[in-house]
Parts: sequence; C-alpha cells; structure tokens
Amino acid sequence: MGGPVRFRAISVGLLLVLFSVITAGNFIPKDERIASNFWPDEGLRLGLDLRGGIHWVVGVELEKAVVRELEFVKQSIIERLENDDVTLERAVVEEGELRLTLAADADRPAAKEAADNTGVLGSADEDGLNLTYELTEDWVVDVRERTMSQVLEVLRRRIDDPQRGIPDSVVTRQGDDRVLVQIPGEQIDRDRARTLLKSTGFLEFKIVIDMDGTAEALLARYPGGIGDDRIILKEYDPEVKVIDPETTQEIQAYLLPKVADITGDYLDDARLQFDQQQRPIVEFRFNPAGGEIFGDLTSKSIGKPMAIILDEKVYSAPVIRGKISTRGQIEGNYTSDEAADLAVILRAGSLSVPVVIEEERTVGPGLGQDSIESGARACMIGLIVILAFAAGYYRLSGAFASFALLANLVLLVGLMSLFEATLTLPGIAGLVLTVGMAVDANVIIFERIREELRSGKAVRAAIATGFQKATWTVLDANLTTLFTAVILFRFGTGPIKGFAVTLSIGIVTSVFAALVVTRLLYELYLGKRTHSSLSI
Amino acid sequence: MPTEIVPVGTNINFLGQRKIALAISIALIALGGIMAAVNGVEVGLDFAGGTEVQLLFSDGVAVDESKIRDVLKEQGFEAPQVVRFGEADIAEFNIKFKGVTDGSPAALAVAAAQEGVDGEQVAVGLEANTQVMVLERAVGSSIGDFTEQRVEYVGPKVGAELREDGIRALLYSAIVILMYVAFRFSSRFAPGAVVAVVHDLAITAGILVLLGEEFDLRILAAMLAILGYSLNDTIIIYDRIRENMELHTKADLEETLNLSVNQTLSRTVLTSLTTLLAVGSLYLFGGEVIQPFAKTMLIGVFVGTYSSIFIASPLLLFLEERYGDKDGPKRKGPGINKAVV
Repeated sequence: MGGPVRFRAISVGLLLVLFSVITAGNFIPKDERIASNFWPDEGLRLGLDLRGGIHWVVGVELEKAVVRELEFVKQSIIERLENDDVTLERAVVEEGELRLTLAADADRPAAKEAADNTGVLGSADEDGLNLTYELTEDWVVDVRERTMSQVLEVLRRRIDDPQRGIPDSVVTRQGDDRVLVQIPGEQIDRDRARTLLKSTGFLEFKIVIDMDGTAEALLARYPGGIGDDRIILKEYDPEVKVIDPETTQEIQAYLLPKVADITGDYLDDARLQFDQQQRPIVEFRFNPAGGEIFGDLTSKSIGKPMAIILDEKVYSAPVIRGKISTRGQIEGNYTSDEAADLAVILRAGSLSVPVVIEEERTVGPGLGQDSIESGARACMIGLIVILAFAAGYYRLSGAFASFALLANLVLLVGLMSLFEATLTLPGIAGLVLTVGMAVDANVIIFERIREELRSGKAVRAAIATGFQKATWTVLDANLTTLFTAVILFRFGTGPIKGFAVTLSIGIVTSVFAALVVTRLLYELYLGKRTHSSLSI
Repeated sequence: MPTEIVPVGTNINFLGQRKIALAISIALIALGGIMAAVNGVEVGLDFAGGTEVQLLFSDGVAVDESKIRDVLKEQGFEAPQVVRFGEADIAEFNIKFKGVTDGSPAALAVAAAQEGVDGEQVAVGLEANTQVMVLERAVGSSIGDFTEQRVEYVGPKVGAELREDGIRALLYSAIVILMYVAFRFSSRFAPGAVVAVVHDLAITAGILVLLGEEFDLRILAAMLAILGYSLNDTIIIYDRIRENMELHTKADLEETLNLSVNQTLSRTVLTSLTTLLAVGSLYLFGGEVIQPFAKTMLIGVFVGTYSSIFIASPLLLFLEERYGDKDGPKRKGPGINKAVV
C-alpha cells in the first residue's frame, strides 16, 4: 500500500473518473457514441433475454456425413475391384461400418488391397468371407471437422448474408457438433428464420419421365416397380394446382431419375424477381461450367418437362421450349419474403447434412424491456437501501464505505463495458448480489477497527491494525467465492454465464474498492492531524 | 457511541447448542428428502426438456387458465400446464407442454405443417417448433388475439447435458473449496467448510421442494451463489478461529470456538442483513423472471448464516478433538500476525 497518499489519491481518482465515463457511455445510444470523440465506442451488449430475439442451439447431424463418406469409399472400392475383374457378393454401409462379403476366398488379397489403397480405412475385421471396416479415427475427425466448417459457412452466408443478412446476428460454433445462432430483436419472423436455417437448400434439375395426380396413381402404372434408379417426388405445396396441358389433369407426383442431371452446386447467383403478373419468382444464373451442362441438357430435351427440385420437393416443371444455358427461374406459390429467403438459401449453397434445433429461447422485445426496467429498479432500490444502512450504521466510515460501493459499481460496469460483456437478466441479478455482498469486505474491516479501538488503540493505529488483520480474511473469503464463480462460468450455459461473469468481476472490484478505496479515504481523512475519536 | 447491532461482550454459547442444531438440520434435510421421494421433484424445462410458450393476450380477450387448458387438451397437447404470469389484471399466461399425442388434431396439424416446410426431413427440433405454431393457431382461433412474449424449447439431449453440467459445476466447486481451505488453513478445517456448504444446498433444495418450486437453470445459479455466500461466511469465522487458536493455545477449544463465533457475530449479522436487503429488493422489484432466483437466495442466505455458526464450527471442534495436533494447530498462511511483534 506504499507511496505517498496524494499520488495514490490522484491515480485512484483518475481511474474512477475514467470508469465513470465508460459506465455512463452505456446510457448514450450507440451511433452517437461512435460519432463522438468523447464517449468510448465499446459498451455492454444486451443479452437476447433483455433485448429480445431468437437464441438457437443447432445440432449438426455429423453421423450422416460419416455414413456418406463410407458410401463414397465403398463406391471407390467397388470401382477399383471392377478394374481387376473382381465382383463382391455384397457391399453395404451399416451401423457406421463398411461390410464387404467376398464371392470367393481368392478375391481376398485384391479386396484388402483396394480397401488399403483408400488410405482412410482401419484394418479389416475378418470373419470367414466377411470383411468389416471402419474409418480411421483421424479420418472420422477430419470428416466431422470438414462438415462442421461447411455447415457453419453455409449458415453464416444465409443468416449473415452481406446483402440480405440479419444485422447483429451471430453464428458461432459451440462444442464439437453444435452451432449457436442468435438473431437479436424482432427483425425476422420465427418461422421464416427457421426455414432459412433448416432448409437443406439442395437444388436439382431432372427431366420428368412421367407424372400423375397422386403418387399412388403413378405407382399403379408400373406394376413391375419403378426401378432402382428412379424416384417419385411430390409437388412442394399441395395447394398448387399444376395442370397437364395435354390431358388437363392435375399433377401432384412426378417420376424422375434418381440422379440429378445438374445440381445447385453450379449456381452463380439467385435473386428475387417478379414475373409479368407481378408474382415473386426466384431467378438464378449458372456459372460457365454449369451453363454448358444445362445448355446440353435443355437442347437434348426440347418439348419435355423439366422438374426443378428443392430439398426433394418439386417446385415447378416447365416444358422446355428451347436451349437455355445460364439463366432460369423458379416459380412457386410464395410471398416475396419467401422468394427472397429462397434466393438467399440458393446463393449460400446447400447444407451437406441436416441440422436440428436442439434448444430454442425466443424472447419478445416487450418482455425484454420489462426485464431491463425491473432489473434496474431492483438494482437502484437495493443500492439506495444499502447505502443508507451503511451510512446510518457506521456514520462517517459508513459514508466512506458507501463511496467505495459506488466506486465498485462504476468499476464493475466499466470493466464489463470494456470487455464488451453481454448483460443478461441473471447478470443483473449478479450485479445486485455483488452490491449486497460487496459491503461485506467493509464490514469485516470496520468491525476489526472497532475491536482495535475497544482494546484501547489510538485511532491511527486501530485503522492500520484493522486493515492489516482484515486483509487476508477478505482475500480468503473472496478468493474461494471467485473459484466457484469461475467454475460456474466454465460449466454454465447461456444466460448463466452472464451471471458468472458479473459475479467474478464483481468480486475483484469489491476487494479493490474495500482494500484500496476505503483505505485511501481514511488516509485522506486522517491527514497529518491527530484524532482522538473516529466516527465508525 | 457507535451503533451496535450485537452488543459488545455478547457471549452466547453457540457450540453448546450443537446437538439441537444438528437435530434441526437432520430433521430439515430428512423432511426435504421425504417430500422429494413422496411428491417427486419438479424439474423445470431446462433439465427435463419440453416446450414453454408465454402469451400476452390483447385487451378485452376473455381468457383464463382453464379456457387455455381446455383448448390444449382438445387439441391433444401432452401434459399441458397453464399458469397466469405477472399481475392479475394482465392476461399473460405461461403454457408448458411435453409434446403432442399421436393421432390427435394437433399431431395431424403438425404433420401437415411439416409436409409443407421440408417434407421428409422431419427432425426433433423442427417438430417442437411446429408444435408451437400449431398451438398458437389453435389458441388464436378459439380464444383471441395475443402477442408471443417468449418461446423456450429444450430438446432431450440438451436437457440431459445441462443437468450433467450443473451437477459437475457443484461437484467441482466442492473439490476446489476443499483444496483451498486445506491449503490456507489445515486439512481439519476443510471438511467442516464442505459439509456446511453441502448442508446449505441440501436444506435450501429441501425447502424449495416443500414450496413446490421448479428446478431450472436459474435455481442452479442461485444454488451456486449460495455456495459462494455460505463459504464466505464460514471462512471468516474459520479465520478468526485460527487466529484465536494461536493466541490462546492453552484455552479449551470449545471456548475458543465460541469466542470466535461471538467476535465475528456482528459481522455475520450485518453482512447477512445487507445481502438480504439486496436479494430482497431483487425479489420484490426484480420482476417475475428473476423471482425464483431471488427466492432461492433468500432461503440460502438464512441457511448459510446458520450453518457457518452451528454446523461448520462444531464439525471443526469434533475433528480437532479427534485428530488435532497435540501441540496446537498447524501454522500456515500470512493471516497470522505473530511475527509483527
């Protein structure tokens, strides 16, 4: 605690003035703050529970990516073996394993070599003619990581899209297989946001083989089955009436090849447009490579309907009138908002695996405002009552403690603003709790000083011994509490973290306020004079 | 003359009451345990999973709990709970449900809505979300206009994880405290501190069970705050005990402990008071959402203060008498001021 009193007083004074400005800055609107040179740009952020908005924890189904990787590996093994004129009895991906059954034992070396050559499979588990493989651990990690960054990337482009993104929204990774999405305010309807998030966004173009009113009617035409390489898909919206110009029949189901002729991977751009009837449509453009494929496809299929499929639903199936190479449009029975969102989804690219909303917390802005008001009120009332109590009980020393408490609050809010911490409702609770518990350090010190005075010590000596004896008590008590606050931060989720942050910083600032600020006030008060009594 | 909340020279024989205190504590914990076993513990959305929607109805809409409940039951929402939220003159309700019954109108509506959204790709998260949409449509058409204030959905996976993390946080905190107290004081001080903390959490949880309070993340946060608070209290008394043990090596241990508790009594009472003032204003003015937290803290502050006097110190007495060094306590830490002389 060394150093001349005046020097310390000036440094603490400057520190408090600085932090008062930082704290006060939070009450100035953000744009004004940034425009002015006086107010700091940083400030507290309001949590979604206070400003309203959507909070989602989104699970990414990474297992699907691993299965797909295995399918891919399986395909490459089969192709390799075909070159060696070896055919497998059976090759399937089940329960995260690749299971191969040899037709004859003679094929074993060739099959094992083909599997080894992929470089991503572990050693075989052999049981007679059955060979079972799993992806190596390293490769599984690799696949999962790649998928996670792809999903993050796509979701960022959708929600944080530079042109149509949602301002202030946050898309961050959480843990191994989750993405945290936060959309503040009431900028977007929840259902729309959900579509933006969840649509796989997988666009395909296929030439229609056959179509009918219902899937059942379509199936009935193929008594021998539709074949492995074909698939029946339905119209995306049952309300839409598509009429076949030739038969004037309503069409709801399409028979299509399983593999697409061209996919959305070749898209360059997608935009909201309006057709002649002013109905919203989505216009898209292929990149040059895509244009070549698309031109080829359309020129070969003039007169046939081509299905435009998004996430396994047929959006429209216009009859091709001539060769189209780069531009096209997707019509649908949608509003302009929906068409605009669809354009964003197409532009952002497709999600390689589905995502699932695992946790949702949506707060309306009205409720958030209420929470801020009642939180601030509780904080103010608590503060005033405690200040009054301290001053009433400890008189002048109590006034010192009150000043230290205010200094503590200014430091706490100021530090949180500097870190741009997020203030949540539990955070406000932490603030109020800190105010209540911060007096404790002063109480410990004051009670010690009183004891020393009672034992007959002079004022100056009593204060010095009081602080000396109380210091470690205060530190011990607060350090243990700090540990629990840090653990709470580590294991707390979402809003609870806000509580832990306030509590942790609050412990540090209240120790500082009691041991440094209160002490300084005493020293300034004592000065060089002798005091026969102390107001405590 | 300074104001004294606890008169100077107060010497209450706290340690002498330890058997009664022990009986009270055991009775309270047992009562909480029995209630929990008989009535079960209300586990909130955060840990159990489920969906919660808070709706604020427009002025003039005739609505009450049973009306909403009837609509929900009719539609086939599982385990619906409807509670009025906030003041009585505002038509704001908290609606909770677990899911939809198979084949019910709600389930069909959910299936139909999903068909439109993304067909085959129905997943758990989306399902809950569509359920909210169906619920809002049903309530809107059969009762009246409202604004959606809040939606919370916690999936089963997240619920389980939150539960695990909560338990882990409590456990790790206990271990760290044990280590810190053992390091700063002595190993015989540590168990008392931990037992006191566990005791406080058990009693607070028991009282919450008696009150039928729902356990969620807010309660967990309050529990950890209590843990910190109670520990704070215990450490301060321990600190004084250690100091007095150095000063009065020849004195009877029970007397030393009593002296220490009495010496710190005014501090204990004052700090409890200021904390209660803060938490009390939070309870009264902090709003509905924060109330469970404030309520838990209020209980915890009382229990925490009680335990540091009646549980932590007697346990220390017991451990010192049984395992203590013959030649006085272990000397450790800069808290000891002997060298100053």
